[in-house]
Parts: sequence; C-alpha cells; structure tokens
Amino acid sequence: MNLPDGRLLKSRVVSDPRYPLAEALDRNLTGYAVLEPQETLLLEGEGRGVVTFRDGVPDLTYATGTERGGPAALGDLAMPGPYHVELYELPDDAFDALDDAAAFRVPPGMPAERLAGDPALAASTRRAAPDARVDAGTGSGAASDGDSDGAESRAPEDRSAVEAFLDDEEKIEAIREQARREAEARAEEWGFD
Amino acid sequence: MVEAFAVASGKGGTGKTTSTLALGMALAESHDVTVVDADTGMANLLFHAGLSEAETTLHDVLSGDATVEESCYERFGMTVVPCGTSLDGFRDADPARLREVVAELAADTDVILLDSAAALSSRSAILPVVLADRVVVVLQPTIPSLSDGIKVQEYASSYGTGVAGLVFNKVRDDDAIGRIAEKSERYFDGPTLATVPASEAAREARRAGRPLLAHAPDSDAAAAFEDAAAAIDVRDGGSEAVADRFRSAVIPDPP
Repeated sequence: MNLPDGRLLKSRVVSDPRYPLAEALDRNLTGYAVLEPQETLLLEGEGRGVVTFRDGVPDLTYATGTERGGPAALGDLAMPGPYHVELYELPDDAFDALDDAAAFRVPPGMPAERLAGDPALAASTRRAAPDARVDAGTGSGAASDGDSDGAESRAPEDRSAVEAFLDDEEKIEAIREQARREAEARAEEWGFD
Repeated sequence: MVEAFAVASGKGGTGKTTSTLALGMALAESHDVTVVDADTGMANLLFHAGLSEAETTLHDVLSGDATVEESCYERFGMTVVPCGTSLDGFRDADPARLREVVAELAADTDVILLDSAAALSSRSAILPVVLADRVVVVLQPTIPSLSDGIKVQEYASSYGTGVAGLVFNKVRDDDAIGRIAEKSERYFDGPTLATVPASEAAREARRAGRPLLAHAPDSDAAAAFEDAAAAIDVRDGGSEAVADRFRSAVIPDPP
C-alpha cells in the first residue's frame, strides 16, 4: 500500500493501541497511524502496521511484516505493547488515488475491537462512520459492520482471525516470553517478599 | 482454609466482577466462601453486591483505620469484603497489607476469591495474582482478551501461582467458541471451566446491585457459572499452613 507522506501530528510511545484510534476519532483525522509494536520481531522483521483514517474513521489496514491487509493485518498487529505510534495528517483527497484499496479495507469498528479490545470505542467509531461504510463493510458484505455492540465479531473473518491468532504458536510464544520477562522484572522492582 | 483464587483477566470489560460473585455464590453451596474486592484502584464489587453504602471497606483496613472483621459483610450466602472507590482511600491504602488481610481471612474460611484489577501495570494490581494459590482467567473470545489472558497466566506461573481454569464470558452463539476454547487450552495450564453466554441478565443484575446468581438464577449465564464452579476442584489444605504462607509470601525463584 503506497501512501503519500503526511504531516506528522504526534509521535509517542503508548501502552495501548487504543490511543491512536481514539485520537484519530477525536480529531476527525484524515490521514494514517503507523504502529510499531515493541516486539517488532513478532512481525517477522520489519514489523509495522498502518491504519488509515477518513474523517476519524478507520478505513484501510496493512501490516508490513506479513504484507497482509484488511482484517488479517489487524490480527498480525494484535500483540502486547508498548507501541511506538505516529499519527499523520493527509489532504482530504489523498486516498482517491488508491485504486487497490478494497483488499485493505476493514469495517469501521474492527480496529477498536481487535487492537484495543474496546467495544465502546468501536461503537463510537461506527456511529461516526458514514452509512455507506457501515453497510458496505469490507465490500464483500461478509464482514459488514453493524450498529449493535460487537456486531463485527459475528463476521466469519473475525472468527478466523481469532483462530489464526491461536494457531500462530510463534507469536504466542513471543507474547509469553515477554510476559515472563516483565513478571520477573516487576517482582524485583516491587519486591514481592 | 482450603484455597485462594484470583479471578483475573489482564483486561477490562470481560466481566470479572460478575464472574467473581457468580463463582462465589455457586461455590458457597458447598464451601464457606469469602469474596474480596482486591481491585483497590478501581473497585466495583460493592456496586454488584448491594454494598455501595458500606461504611467500612478494604481501603480502611489497608490504611490501618479498621479491622478486617469490620470490613466483612454477610451477603448472598458469602462473606463479602468490598473496597471503596475514593481516590483518597486508594492513596492511603498500603497494598502490601493485602497479604495480611488474606492471611487473616484464610483462618476462618474455605475459599477466598480475589477480584483482581483489570491490568498488570502496578504492584497492587499484580498482588492478588501473587497471593493466590491459583487464578481463574476470565476471557472473551477476542484477540486482545486472549492475548492478555495469556499474559496473566505467565505472570501467575512466574510467581508460583497455578491456573484453575478458564471462563469464556460474554460468548455469542456464533463465536465458534468450541474451536476457540480448544485452541486456547493448548496455551493454558487449566481447562475451560465454562463458556458463559452473553446475557442481558448480567447487565440487569449489575443495575439492580445484586449478583447474577441472586438476580437471575434461572438464566443460561447463571447455569454456566454453576457449571464453572462445579468444575473447579477445590483443593484441601491446612488452615494454619495456608495462613502462614500468606504471611510469608515470597516470590519463588525465577523458572
């Protein structure tokens, strides 16, 4: 996915990928967020993810490590933080030139559900989305968005994303390894004795 | 004392407090149960148990202003130790005292359930997982929830705490829960205790300030929690030995 260079608005390290999604919605942002999980090795090398926004609503997603787009990319990016996040602004017409966008499209609330696990943010995002986006979903109709809480979870793609996550033993082992390191570091730091 | 469980998820919104009280009520049919709101930074068990007006809470005990006994309320067949919600109460509370509180409670009860914080980011949030014998991990069938549940288990096992099992909560008919639970079990040291259907009854119970099993005992969700409690094999242990262990709780050597 080739995006034009945007104007950098924010660059920071956050513990939760909810931040760029909520920030984009608050700002009504047209642009994109680049997310780089701390454990970039989990994304097979160059592990960054991009989420584009139109008027604050997520539109397209892409994971550079796996070179996958759409709902699958969200599965690739769902991992423990912290994340380094950059938020960029683009002109309103910047996405018009992307003619191969359909493969990267996600339902509006799905990033909040998948990355942040935040049904309330997902619901707010769906409310902010144009009706056409909510109705159209990914374009195939299979992962269409709904107004009800967590409606996207009913899409077949979502089920397969959760199952694909659980089938990715390497990624889960990396999550476990990181958690073990944190647990041991914190035991020392907080002196559980 | 038999066993102390931390009910944990690593993530908010999974229904930990509903689960804690539901498991507590179900276990209370066969055990003497004490439920403690160990989420001292964001307590909400008091709202679920009709104790929002409670005068003395765990905060008072942790700040040295009240005895453990004064913070105990007999509700719904259990002993309930609510926690306050004020920032001052949180500021003045010494989380390290939770260990002594659990040790004291352990002398007079069979099962302790510690409703834990929805995070692993602070000492007070992790302490219940450290203190418990085993954790019950409350999950939703989503990637963030499963990811955080896996982290909770790793923290638990790093601190020598076992896993009693998994509760999949807020499950919808079409969540393919059978396959997800089966795949999840490969990564957890405990079995799936139950899959609890998403339920309006749980929200209504919360609004009514009553535990789910008291408010809607005939609901599918309540039945699932009964199944979960029945699937927990509460282990027998000597009261004194357990109390001593809490008093001297130490972090085991790194694995």
